[in-house]
Formats: sequence, C-alpha cells, structure tokens
Amino acid sequence: MTDTSSDSAAVPLVQVRGLTTVLGGKKVFDALDLDIARGRVTAIMGPSGTGKTTLLKHITGQMHGDAGQVLVDGEDVARLPRESLYVLRERIGYLFQNSALLSDYNVFENVAFPLRQHTRLQEDLIRNVVLTKLQAVGLRGAALLMPSELSGGMARRVALARAIVFDPMLILYDEPFVGLDPIALNQVLKLIRTLNRELGITSVLVAHEFAAVREVADHVHLIANGKRVASGTPAELAKGDSPWTAQFFGGALEGPVPFQYPAPPLASAFGFPGVAP
Amino acid sequence: MKQFAARLFDPLVDGLADIGRTGWFLLGLLAALPRGLTYPRELLRQLWFVGAKSLIIIMISGLFVGMVLSLQLYYTLSIFGGTSALGTVIALSLYRELGPVVTALLFAGRAGTAITAEVGLMRATDQLSAMEMMAVDPLAFVASPRFLAGVIAMPLLVAVFNLMGIFGGHLIGVTWLGIDNGTFWSNMTSNVSVWTDVINGEWKALAFGALISLIAVYQGYTAPPTSEGVANATTRTVVTSSIAILALDFVMTAFLM
Amino acid sequence: MNPRRSYAAGTGLFILLGFAALAYLATQTTSLVNFDSGPSYDVTAEFTSVGGLKDRAPVKMAGVRIGTVKSITLDQKSLDAKVTLAIADRYNQIPADSYAKIMTSGLLGDQFISLSPGGSPDNLKNGSVIANTQSALQLEDLIGKFLTSGGSKSASGSSK
Ligand SMILES: Nc1ncnc2c1ncn2[C@@H]1O[C@H](COP(=O)(O)OP(=O)(O)OP(=O)(O)O)[C@@H](O)[C@H]1O
Ligand SMILES: [Mg+2]
Repeated sequence: MTDTSSDSAAVPLVQVRGLTTVLGGKKVFDALDLDIARGRVTAIMGPSGTGKTTLLKHITGQMHGDAGQVLVDGEDVARLPRESLYVLRERIGYLFQNSALLSDYNVFENVAFPLRQHTRLQEDLIRNVVLTKLQAVGLRGAALLMPSELSGGMARRVALARAIVFDPMLILYDEPFVGLDPIALNQVLKLIRTLNRELGITSVLVAHEFAAVREVADHVHLIANGKRVASGTPAELAKGDSPWTAQFFGGALEGPVPFQYPAPPLASAFGFPGVAP
Repeated sequence: MKQFAARLFDPLVDGLADIGRTGWFLLGLLAALPRGLTYPRELLRQLWFVGAKSLIIIMISGLFVGMVLSLQLYYTLSIFGGTSALGTVIALSLYRELGPVVTALLFAGRAGTAITAEVGLMRATDQLSAMEMMAVDPLAFVASPRFLAGVIAMPLLVAVFNLMGIFGGHLIGVTWLGIDNGTFWSNMTSNVSVWTDVINGEWKALAFGALISLIAVYQGYTAPPTSEGVANATTRTVVTSSIAILALDFVMTAFLM
Repeated sequence: MNPRRSYAAGTGLFILLGFAALAYLATQTTSLVNFDSGPSYDVTAEFTSVGGLKDRAPVKMAGVRIGTVKSITLDQKSLDAKVTLAIADRYNQIPADSYAKIMTSGLLGDQFISLSPGGSPDNLKNGSVIANTQSALQLEDLIGKFLTSGGSKSASGSSK
C-alpha cells in the first residue's frame, strides 16, 4: 500500500480506501472504495449531488474525510504537510465545475498563470505554450478577452486550457462537456483522448453525458448513496446488468438511485393533518 | 428573562468571536506575508486600486476639512483674542487627529469595501480554490498584497489629506478672514513639532491602514459564497472598521501623544 | 501590456506625491523651519524666570529674527535661569550692553527673546554675557497684582 515507486504501473495512481465523509449532517461518502488506474481515462458518474465534485476535492486535498484515506501516488493527501501538498498539486490539473477563471486577468494570463507561478520560463516560451493550449481548445483568438467577456462554454474551454497547461500527471475534469456545442464537445473529447494517449496523462472525468463518456473512458465508476455501486468499462455498464446501472443509464424515475434529496415525506411537509413526519 | 439575556449577550459573544477569528486570520496572514512579498506586481496593482484611486476623494475632502476648520477655529479663537494661533490649531487638529481619522473613515468606505467585495466574489466564484489547486496560496497571493497596500497607502494618503487641509485652512484664514500670512505660518512653525505631531499622526495612519485592510480582507475571505453574503460582508467592513478606527484612535491618543 | 504600464506609472506618481506631501509637512510647517543650520556664535543671559520660553524659540531684534534659543539651564549658584542664545554670524555688530527681554507674541502666542540695542562701542561676541535682562511677564503675576490692588477691599472684607 505504501509503495511509492511511481513506475510500478500496477499500483493505481489514486486509491480511495474506506472514505467516509459527513457534510452538513449528511453522509456524503459511506466507506467508499475506488481506484483510478494509471495512464487511463476513468469516468465517475452518479446522480447530481452524490458527491462527485466532493470526491475530486478529496483527491486534491482541499477536503478531508472523517475516516478512511485517499492515496495519490502512494501518499495520503490528508496527512501531507502544506509544502508537499502544494508540490503534489503542481502535478495535478483541475477543471472546476464553474470554470473559476481569475476575473482580474485576461484569457492569456489565466492560462499562463500556473506557468508564471511555478516556472521561470522565458516570456516567448510561455507565449508559445499558452497559445498552443488555447489553439487546442479553439480559443487562440480570444486570448486578450477578459473572463467577463466570455460565454459559459468559452470559459469552460479556457479553464480546460489552464488545467492542461502544465501537462500534469493527473487531470481532474469536473463536467468538461457542460455548455459545449456538438463541435466544441467533439474537440474537447479529442483533446482529452490525445492528452491521455499521447502523453499518458491519467484522467478523471466527472460527466453526465454517457454518450461522450463512452467515447473516451476506459473505465467507469458509478457512485450513489455514498458508495460505489457499479464499475466496469462503458460497454459493460451500458448492458445494465445491475438495477443501479439499469436505472441510471435508462433514466427511469423509479429504482434504487434516489432522485430526491433526502427529506421527510411530501405529505408531512405540506402539513396534512394526521400525517406524522 | 432568559431570552432577554440571550438577546443581550449573543451579539456580544458573536462580536468577541469575530475579533478572535480576525486575530487568528491575522496570524495566518502575517505568516504568509513573506511569501506575499514575492508578488511585487500584485502589490503594485493593489497600491493602484486602494491608494492612487483614493487620491481624488482624499484631496477634495482634505481641502474642505481644512476650510471648515479654519472658519470654526477662527470663531473660537476670536473669543479670547488668539486668532494669531489659527495656523497652529489647524495644523495640530489635522496632524494629530482629523487627518488620520477622517482619511481612515474615507479609506474604509472607498477601499475597504472594494477589497471585501472583490475578495468575497473571488471566494464565491471558486477563484481562491482554483489558486489553491494551482498550488498558489491565496493568503500570499490575494490577501497579503491587499493588506500591505493598505498599510503603505494610508500614511501617504494622510500626508496628502493634511497638506490639502493646510492649504484649505490657509486659503480661508489668510485670504478670506484676513489673518496675516507671516503670523499664520510663523505661529504654526514655532508650535508644531515633527515628532510629536506629524510623525505620531503617521503612526496612527499606519495602524489604521493595517486595521482597515485586515478587516476588509478577512470579511471578504470569509464571506458566504452568495451575493447576499458578499453584500453583508461589505457592510460589516464599513461598520466594523469605523468602530475599530475610533476605538483605536482613543487608545493611541491616550498612550502615544 | 500598456494598461499595466500606465497604472504602474500612476502608482509611482501616487507614492511620490505622498512622500512629497509628508516631506513638505515635516519641513515647512513645523519647528524644523526654525532650525538654523548656518554658522552662529553663542552668548548667555541670565533671567530670574524664563516663564514658558522653550528651546529653539526665536531671538529677535527690532522684530527681525537673528537667532534661536540654544539651551535653557538652571545656574546652581545664582539659582537663575541661564539661557544660551545662538546668534547668526552675519549679525556681528550688536552692542555688548544690549538689553534682553522675554516677550510673548499676542496673548496666547509663544515666547521669544527680544534684544534692544545699547550704546556700547563693543559688540557681542562668542562667550559674551548679556548683563541687562528682564524676565518673562507672568500672566499669573499680572492677575495677582490686579486682584490685590483693585479688589483689596472685598478681599479684606471676606477674610474677616
Ligand atoms: N461545504 C459543504 N457543506 C455541506 N454540504 C456540502 C458541502 N459541499 C457539498 N455538500 C453536499 O455534498 C453533496 C455532494 O455535493 P457535490 O457538489 O460533490 O455533488 P456532485 O456529485 O458534484 O453534484 P453535481 O453533479 O450536481 O455537480 C451535496 O449533497 C451537497 O449538499
Ligand atoms: Mg459537481
């Protein structure tokens, strides 16, 4: 478990072991176990509010569980001192669900930000790298716009360019396909695939679009109710053998996957007499 | 009865807790300050936003405060025939008290609120988390330059405010009320001292600058990530720092001057 | 790149302006103005009381400032105040028997030393002592005198 040799491809890059997290009185994770294989594209799917974003935040050490551990490249992120955690984060790219571009800086400076902070590259080298990444997301022409001048889909693509500017060892994409038109979506799909196949970057993909996930993901974890309820290749999950996958990918309203946020019965909320909560 | 006591003590306890948390935040901020100095460009930007952009309002206010002081003090001094001391009392009122305090209150309204709103919005839109994810400490990159800019800008703004106040006072006292120009200046120069008046006033300015920018950054940093949360935090910055300025002013005047 | 340059310049201007204002306040509106740095010579004068006279107070002759008070000490033998005056070198034609008097400018003004010329052919020079002096007029003394002369009747009446 504590094997830190990063070249042993057999050891998963991220290992989540017995992770239990309570947020606002709700058990978001309940002894969650899950692996992210090295050099692969792993998709994490699940109903909205099930803790996918929270899981990514545990992997980057922004949040810590109440029990269990999260090992990234063999290191328990919850126990890392600040300096080591920051060193680790320099090797992780993170695409925020809401883009989170720095509003004080234009598109170019946003993408250049990680480079400027952590390297002493020459200005023209930075320029080349940034423009290449912007070209890859189709926004080289928007380099001088401010984040407030971007559409939602454009902002996501700029955030994507920023997440990959370092060619990190691990990229976490939180809903990269939201707000993209079919062309941009294909372009982003191609980008994720290229980064993975050609640079060997391990990718974690949180997404709801199964059609898109199917195209790039090698492996899919389905989480619901704080547990991993199904795993496998997209093709395996699509067969819908278990009631979980059958309902989730079939989109049925009734089934084991809860659609409602936990609450007392509707009748008692409306205050009908005789109905005790 | 119990409710009444609770209503009385709850805000008190909340206030104390807020002071405690601000102090705690200050420790983290001070620890991050050396790393904050590695972002000189951010410091420069913040000096522009909190300092240079406050200049106009500070100059105009200083001018009017000096003019009003001149009118009021001339009236008071004329009661016991001491109008030759007008220059002195204007300078002393400005340097020791009004310069630092009025500038600080204006600064809290002009720059403090802007800092809180900006940092609060950065929190609400995950920009601070994004920085942490890019292995950049927001305490060093966002909080420190804003704090330092406040500490540096306030003494400079106070000096400009005082200068405009003296000009305004001179304008009214000499040009309008007809006090002899030589008397105005010579009386002032023989009674105003650099160390006990000008420099002590600047110490106040420094302390107020640190206080305001600490409160402003803290409120923005901890604002709930909603538009209402940011709005409330902005209001709290003005209220808290105004009270804190006046209280600290009393303490510093009692022990320093 | 251009906007960044312009606010850097603006910030620089702000800092310069702030320090210029501070320098002006410190040097032009305070007692630093009265600080004569030019060459001077010292003379002493003894007063029975200096009242509120302070170090660096002006020394004037015919209303013109010619020097400053350098130090005020108590002479242990005579128990008088010994005041050392620094007079600018260019005023070297002041009669040795000139008369030094502590005066107040206005009712609430600050105190200074006024020299009235004597008739001696000799002039004051470094180390000279001014023999003729008049101490500060104390406001309290004046009021006391006024009370004892003008209000003596009522005062004696009430004491019995
Ligand atoms: N800071 C917090 N305090 C309390 N509860 C939280 C906090 N953050 C998240 N939660 C709760 O944790 C659960 C998981 O949230 P999360 O954002 O991870 O969901 P998600 O799976 O990413 O959903 P979506 O697909 O809609 O993005 C939600 O029920 C949310 O209410
Ligand atoms: Mg999410």
